[in-house]
Amino acid sequence: MTKSQKNRIATIARYSILTVWALIVAFPLYWMVSTSFKPGEQWFAWPAVYIPDPWTLTNYLDVWTGRQELATSQYIISAQRPWIALGNSALIAFSATTLAVLYGGVIAYGVSRYRMLSEVRMFQLLMLRMIPPIVVVAPLSLYYSALGLLDTWIGLVLIYFLTSLPYAVWMLKSFIDEVPREVEQAAEILGAPRWRTLLEVVLPLVRSGLVATFLFILILTWSEYLLALLLAKTEVVTLPIELSKYQGSTEGRVYGRQAALSVGITIPLIIIGVIIRKHLARGFSFGMIRR
Amino acid sequence: MARIELVNLRKEFGALAAVKDINVTIEDGEFVVFVGPSGCGKTTTLRMIAGFEDPTAGEVRIDGRVVNDFEPKDRGLGMVFQSHALFPHKTVAQNIEFGLRMKKVPPDERRRRVLEVAEMVRLTRLLDQMPAQCSGGESQRVALARTLVTNPSTFLLDEPLSSLDAKLRRELRAECDRLHQALKKTFIYVTHDQEEAMTLADRIVVMRAGVIEQIGSPMQIYSYPVNSFVADFFGSPSMNLLAGEVVHEAGARRFRGFGLSVRLPDRFNGVPAGPITLGIRPEHVDAVPAGDGADPDVELPVRLVEPLGKDTLLYFDVGMERPFVTVSEGIAMAELESGAKLGLTLARDQICLFAADGRRIGSA
Repeated sequence: MTKSQKNRIATIARYSILTVWALIVAFPLYWMVSTSFKPGEQWFAWPAVYIPDPWTLTNYLDVWTGRQELATSQYIISAQRPWIALGNSALIAFSATTLAVLYGGVIAYGVSRYRMLSEVRMFQLLMLRMIPPIVVVAPLSLYYSALGLLDTWIGLVLIYFLTSLPYAVWMLKSFIDEVPREVEQAAEILGAPRWRTLLEVVLPLVRSGLVATFLFILILTWSEYLLALLLAKTEVVTLPIELSKYQGSTEGRVYGRQAALSVGITIPLIIIGVIIRKHLARGFSFGMIRR
Repeated sequence: MARIELVNLRKEFGALAAVKDINVTIEDGEFVVFVGPSGCGKTTTLRMIAGFEDPTAGEVRIDGRVVNDFEPKDRGLGMVFQSHALFPHKTVAQNIEFGLRMKKVPPDERRRRVLEVAEMVRLTRLLDQMPAQCSGGESQRVALARTLVTNPSTFLLDEPLSSLDAKLRRELRAECDRLHQALKKTFIYVTHDQEEAMTLADRIVVMRAGVIEQIGSPMQIYSYPVNSFVADFFGSPSMNLLAGEVVHEAGARRFRGFGLSVRLPDRFNGVPAGPITLGIRPEHVDAVPAGDGADPDVELPVRLVEPLGKDTLLYFDVGMERPFVTVSEGIAMAELESGAKLGLTLARDQICLFAADGRRIGSA
């Protein structure tokens, strides 16, 4: 076999494996979207219906406007609930993420420039994230109940902020490490006070990193389920909790509406991702600064 | 005006002493080059002058004032970094303008001074470019312009040319020299390149392992090195160092080693017998084809001939780690076959002797 033949086979093999993998990853997404357009009788149909026939918007109308055309279950959907959940999710996720990125950024700068935390401490910080949430949630709910934080949005913001802080510090530190110390020192010796160096030199250079970190943490908090279930859920309902209510012992299985809601949850993140994709590409490909 | 004094300056990083109690005074308007192998403490010294490192002990004085507790921006210095350290998100013009903006210079004057400086270092055509679009030499000129425009009393340059190729280095070296002459400011320049030091400096400070080995003009350092380290470090190719011994013979002193037996000039009459290192620069060895009627100090077969155009380098094997090198003018020797025997004669008045601890013996 010649070298070029070998190369061609390697390329074919590579693409075949990647294609299979892409299909495996994409199928649930496809299934979610297609189910959201299926009429009720096709949700459970066997053999499975891959392409909705006929296409229908009923699920979306039912979920997002509370309209009840197809009485597939005795459960009556309130028009407001998904919107309230969306509002809660947005408020909680954005607040917690903003806090985590801001505070994490300050810590990351301290670690990167002043070795504020030793390497052991940095690793311990990451270890915090490796404790399964279910382990801490019982004692946490006791604290929360004592502090009156159970079922409040502040309570959720606080716990999301704290649990995503390690990620924020680790990610942002790697971006700040990329900014050469000498660039800051150049600004310093040219007469820039500390805050102007940060604002005019460091911040613009890590902006893409900030955006990437922000989106990463936003996705985590946006889709968090366990803590939201155990620390809130009656007064403050987030989207993942709302979503779970479409499949329970009392409500039955309303796959179509659940899928319609899922699409609604996913779209905001996709929109944000598209808007900031320029930053994401740069933020996730390190070494952007010429030394 | 800036006269910079370093008094018993010391810097320790943990257990490592990078700079050990150095004392230098740099006069106003002087071009001083700190030179030495990597890790000798020269950059740490510069960074202490700039204010980026706090001395463990000792003082940095600018015009008589102790500035140890001054922020870098309050010392009135300008610095050019090895990595250029341009602001990658600002245009060339914005890079140059930065220092003026920080000093709250009004916009009109800012623009005027940026143009003026850009003219001076030939950057006018690049003002709207981003640093990433600039070549290495251009980046270095931007870094220089950015410092120039703030009109500092002293320029600190940390290996500014080490990332450039040889030709550009020579060009920018000349530019540095020209700027120094035009501005009449104090320049402190750090490099590991002895050639840069030789060509640029009014005075050279040779450092090794955190200690100053010698301070002097380029010619002093080259001709009268205080020890074998300095002798070896300066000059390209560097000085031949031959380990041997001094013997007393019929009232005179002779050096013996590597098949060589040389009668030493009278100025070495005080040297006791014993082991010693003889140093001679390649250009101070006369090489002629053997059997030319002359009476050479030693005859050796040439091992390698390296024609450089202007000169020809000849390498001889003397059983040491390093070959013995001589340089002969022109290309007369360029056609020499490897193995051809040459007679070598050492210029007596140029011989240096170094004691076992490296110290040079006897006056010049």
